[in-house]
Amino acid sequence: MNTMRQAGAFAYFVWDWAMAVRRWGAPRAEIWREAFRIGVMSLPILLVIAAFVGTNLALQGFYAFRPLGGGRLVGMFVSLAGVRELGPIIAAAMVAAKAGTEMASQIGVMRIREQIDALEVMAVNPYAWLVTPRLVGIVLVLPALTVISIFTMLASGYLVAVFQLGLNGSTYLTFATQGITAMDFVYGMLKAVWFGMIICLVSCWYGFTCGRGPEGVGEATNRAVVTSAVVCVLSNYFLSEILYGGGP
Amino acid sequence: MVASLGALGRFATFSAVVLRSTLRPPWLVHETLSRCYVTTTRCLLPVIAVCGPFGMVMSLQGLEIFGLFGAERLLSGLVSVAILRELAPVLASVLVAAQGGSSCAAELGAMRIKEELDATEVMAVDSIGWHVVPRVLGLTLATPLLNVAGAASGLTGAFFTAVVMKGETAGVFMHELWALTSPADVWGGIAKTTVFGALIGLVASYHGYHATGGAAGVGKAVNDTVVRSVLVFIVVNYFLTSAFFGQLA
Repeated sequence: MNTMRQAGAFAYFVWDWAMAVRRWGAPRAEIWREAFRIGVMSLPILLVIAAFVGTNLALQGFYAFRPLGGGRLVGMFVSLAGVRELGPIIAAAMVAAKAGTEMASQIGVMRIREQIDALEVMAVNPYAWLVTPRLVGIVLVLPALTVISIFTMLASGYLVAVFQLGLNGSTYLTFATQGITAMDFVYGMLKAVWFGMIICLVSCWYGFTCGRGPEGVGEATNRAVVTSAVVCVLSNYFLSEILYGGGP
Repeated sequence: MVASLGALGRFATFSAVVLRSTLRPPWLVHETLSRCYVTTTRCLLPVIAVCGPFGMVMSLQGLEIFGLFGAERLLSGLVSVAILRELAPVLASVLVAAQGGSSCAAELGAMRIKEELDATEVMAVDSIGWHVVPRVLGLTLATPLLNVAGAASGLTGAFFTAVVMKGETAGVFMHELWALTSPADVWGGIAKTTVFGALIGLVASYHGYHATGGAAGVGKAVNDTVVRSVLVFIVVNYFLTSAFFGQLA
């Protein structure tokens, strides 16, 4: 019941934001600053996480395919899983954990210090001023981060396949390029755009509805990352079904 | 560089202090179990809601890969290995870091900002033993439980997509499910998540315990907790996977 009410309140928030954008537009200079901040802040952590996800993909693929006599197929396993599913999801999860939590706590702190009320008093629409630059920024950088994480996974998978599992490097690369097409990258970036919109809107909403005091900010930050991760993974299934499913 | 080395040293000292008070009485069994209960109930729904769709996606993509070789019946073997060894432990720990770890950091941070931890110390109560140790142990116990729930929901999701949506045979799916897996995979996943839970608990309580600077400081502590604990256990995961499963299969 409470969840339904929250979903309704969130829908109202999105509607109010859309109306505010139509009426007031967006501050251009802020967009580039936010895009830079979100992208550059999340990049180091994303590189490390993607590298280690790639190593584990290679290990798993090798152990799964070896009993069937297909240890050589590791490259294909890493590239298919990385490009289609894990690249977009890992990039989204790390941006939700890094940039999303920061959005929620920044806006939450502004809320409890009544800076948002101050914006309204100055006739500045807080939705247009605070949400739009973050949304445009995240939608610009998340597809790029996705592509970077895909290549990091492939590279670290290569290192594990060649140096730890003792496979042939050129076989790995041949199978890695065989499994995927350019359209897979486009689909991955489409997914990233959708995930970015979800992360930004959910995190900003929890910031705006932040409760009192330090506990309120902590709670809002906490809920922002959990909710955006759950919604991203849930919608990922439907996106994959639409993009790759192709009917029963 | 020097600053991050210093932070690493402080974290190690903090972990040693936590370990020392864990081994020393009084043991707050009831408090620890209630922390474990709170973490498990709070994280259960997110874990199921993330692992289920992931299992469904694995089925969807796996069917396509195996379809290339006409070997769709091998799907459930691959899916169960991947879910039991990697996906369920990692996803459950990510969700525990995002939900349990961050709320642990937020609670401790709020107590630090409101000087409740100082008040505890003034009353000659060991604040680490009283507030930190039950939280760390609670997370350590809760993460393996959530891993099992995540694995179950992931396998259910995989079954749902393969059998109900894509029309594979249920009997073949169930028969091949245990072809490549063994109880060692389940125990390996549980052992890994115990380590991850302890790491998440230590990172979260370190950031919460040392929070400074008002409400914004609590927000920053929560942010750092989620990012750094995920970073730490993903790196540790690679070594644990190589150690546990390198000789199997």
